[in-house]
Amino acid sequence: MPTAVEPHTETQHRLPRKNRAVAICGPPNVGKSSFFNRLTGLHQKVANYPGITVEKRVGSLRLEEGEQVDLIDLPGIVGLHPRSEDERICVEILRGRSDTLPRPVAAILLLDSTNLQAHLRMVPGILGLGLPTLVVLNMADELEARGGSVDVEAVSAQIGAPVVLASAVTGAGMKEVVRFLQGSFAPARKVELPVINNIPAERKWAHSVAARSSYHAPEPSLWGRRLDRIFLHPLGGPLIFLAVVVAVFQSIFTLAVPLMDAVESAIGVSAGWIGALLPDSMLKGLLLDGVWGGVGAVVVFLPQILILFLFIGLLEDSGYLARAAVIADRSMRAVGLEGRSFIPLLSSYACAIPAVMAARTIENQRDRLATLLIAPLTTCSARLPVYALLIAAFIPERPLLGPFLGTRAAVLLGLYAAGFFAACGTAWLLKSMVLKSKPAPFVLQLPAYRWPTIRSLAFRLIDRAKIFLRRAGTVILVTTIVLWFLASVPYQDGEPPPIGESLAGSIGRTIEPLVEPLGLNWKIGIGLITSLAAREVIVGTLGTIYGMEADEGSPALQQALQSELSFGAAIALLMYFAFAMQCMSTVAIVRRETGGWKWPVIQFAYMLVLAYATGFAAYRIFG
Amino acid sequence: MPSTESDSLDRLSPGLTAVIAALDFEEADRVRLMELGFIPGSSVSCQRVVPLGDLAIFQVEGTQIALRKETAARITLQPSSAGRNPDADGG
Repeated sequence: MPTAVEPHTETQHRLPRKNRAVAICGPPNVGKSSFFNRLTGLHQKVANYPGITVEKRVGSLRLEEGEQVDLIDLPGIVGLHPRSEDERICVEILRGRSDTLPRPVAAILLLDSTNLQAHLRMVPGILGLGLPTLVVLNMADELEARGGSVDVEAVSAQIGAPVVLASAVTGAGMKEVVRFLQGSFAPARKVELPVINNIPAERKWAHSVAARSSYHAPEPSLWGRRLDRIFLHPLGGPLIFLAVVVAVFQSIFTLAVPLMDAVESAIGVSAGWIGALLPDSMLKGLLLDGVWGGVGAVVVFLPQILILFLFIGLLEDSGYLARAAVIADRSMRAVGLEGRSFIPLLSSYACAIPAVMAARTIENQRDRLATLLIAPLTTCSARLPVYALLIAAFIPERPLLGPFLGTRAAVLLGLYAAGFFAACGTAWLLKSMVLKSKPAPFVLQLPAYRWPTIRSLAFRLIDRAKIFLRRAGTVILVTTIVLWFLASVPYQDGEPPPIGESLAGSIGRTIEPLVEPLGLNWKIGIGLITSLAAREVIVGTLGTIYGMEADEGSPALQQALQSELSFGAAIALLMYFAFAMQCMSTVAIVRRETGGWKWPVIQFAYMLVLAYATGFAAYRIFG
Repeated sequence: MPSTESDSLDRLSPGLTAVIAALDFEEADRVRLMELGFIPGSSVSCQRVVPLGDLAIFQVEGTQIALRKETAARITLQPSSAGRNPDADGG
C-alpha cells in the first residue's frame, strides 16, 4: 500500500518522525470505520481512554523504511461545541490536552462527498485547531454513481488545506492519503476562514465554497425514498420490523446449530486426545474438567454470538436500525423515555458497560442517571449462552409460524422483550417519581441506505470473537480453575472427594436454602455465585461440576440439567438471569460513573428483588 | 401549495419546503439542532409524517432527520416561504 514519495523540490511539511499519531475525525455516517479499517487492516485495537472512558480504536499503518504511524479513530461529531462528552474528548485529543495520548501530529477530516455543502461546515473548526489537516471527501464512488462531481483543486484552494476525493469502499484515493501520512504534501496557502462557532456564517461559507468548486450534488437516491415508503409504512413498517426481529432470533437457533455442533465436536475430540495422552493425574483432571469442560462449555456459544452480531451489523450498516428506532419510538414514548436515552439503550445488547459509559453524552444529569440505571436490564450478549443452554435443554422445538418461528426462538425473543420492558418500566418509575426532568428534544438522524460491505461485517465479527474469546480465556478460565480446586479438596484417603463433600459442595449446601424457593439445587447456587464475575461463567461452572461428577465420560450438560431441574425451575433460572445484576464489572462502572456506592447498591438490590420475585413466581406457576 | 398558515415546522405538510427563520430552544439544544442542519436560512422539507406516532421526517442540509412534533413546533419558518418541492415524497 505505501507508495514511493515523489521527489518534491519545493518545501514540504514534514511530519515529526517519532510517536506519530494522526487523528481521524468527522461527522457520523461518513464511513469513518471503513476508512479506518481500510488503512489499518487488522493492526488495530479497541482502547479505552483512561479517565474519560469512551472506547475508541487505535490502529497502526506501516509506511516504508520501517516507519509506522498510529491512527486514532475519534467519535463522530457534528460540531466542536464541547458540550457532550464525545465532542469534549475529540477536542481534547486534537488540542493535545489528553493525558494519555500524545498530541496528534496531524488530522484527517473525513467528509461525505455526496453531501458536501453541509459537511464543509466542519472545516473551519477543525482547521482552526492548527494541525496539518487532510480533508478527505469520502464516498467518491457513490458521488460518481449518482451523477455528482466536484473540483477537488478548487476546494483545496478555498479552504487552504489539501483535499482528496476518496472511497473507503473501492480504495480510490487511498494512495494520496498514505502520501499525506508520509508527510509529503505541500503546505497549502493561508486563506481566510469564517469565524468559528457562528453556525449560520459557517453554513454560508460552506455553500459558497461548494458553489465555487463547481460542486454538483448527486441526484437524490430514489430507492432510498422507496425503501422509506415501505419501511415506514403505517401498517407495513411495524410488520416488517416484527418480521426482522423474528428472523434474527430464529436464525440464532437454526443457523447456529451446524456451527455449534462443529465447535462442540472439536472440543470433544481434543478432550479425547488429552485423555489418551496424559496419565491420570491432577493436571489431567484440571485440564479435562476445569478447562475443557468449563471454558469449552462457554466457547460452544461463539457461533450464536457471532450470528447475533452479524445481524446487528447488517441492520446498522444498511441504515435500517435508525428506521426501526423511528417505528419503535411510539412505544418508547409511552414509558416516558426521551431522545438520547434511546441510543445508549440500543447499544447495551452487546454489553451494559459501554452503554453506561455512553450515557455520559447525555447532558441532563437526571436523564443520564436514569439511563445508566436501566442499561443492565437490557439483554447483553453475556446472557445469550445462558439462555441458549437452558432453552435448548428445556424447550422442545415446535413450529409456531411454520418454518419462520419456532418455540425456542419465541422464548428467546420473550426473554429479550422481558429485559427491554423491565428497562422501560423502570425508566418510567424513575422518571415519574425520583428523576423528573424536562424532556430534551428528540432528534434522530436517518443515515442513507447503503449495502453493508463484507469487509465491514468481517471486522465487526472479528472484534466480537476477540472480545468473547478473551473473556473465555481470562475471567471464565480463572473462575473455573478456582472452582475446580474448591471441588477437589479436601482429599479423602488420597483421593479427591465426591463433589458433594468437597469444599465447593459444602459452600453450595450452605446457600442451598436461598435458592430452593426457585426450585434450584446447590450446584446452580454455586453457579449463581461464580457468575457474579460474568454471567456466562455459570455455563462453565456447570460444565465443570457435572464433568467432575460423572464417573465415565461426562454426559452432555443439557441432559445433566434435564435430570436435575424441573421445567419450572429452568424458567425461574431464566427469569433470574434476565433481571439480576450478575456482573461485578457493571457494578464497578456504575459506582465510578455515579461517584459513590449509593446508586450501584440500590440498583443491585432492585434487580435482585426483581429477579428473585419473578423467578419465585415462575417456579410456582410452572412447577 | 403555498400556505401562510405553516409558520412553524410541525405544520409543514409532507411534500412542502420552507425556509427556517428561528429556533426557540435553550442555547444547548439550539446549537445541537443547528449543528444537525436546522440553521436559520436553510431550507427544510417535510418528507413524511410517521403514521401512528408523532414523528415527522425532515430533509435539511442534505440530511434526513426525524423530529417529534413538539420539537418541530418550536422551529419557526419564514412567512410564506412554503412551496412545493418536487423532490419530496408526497405520501
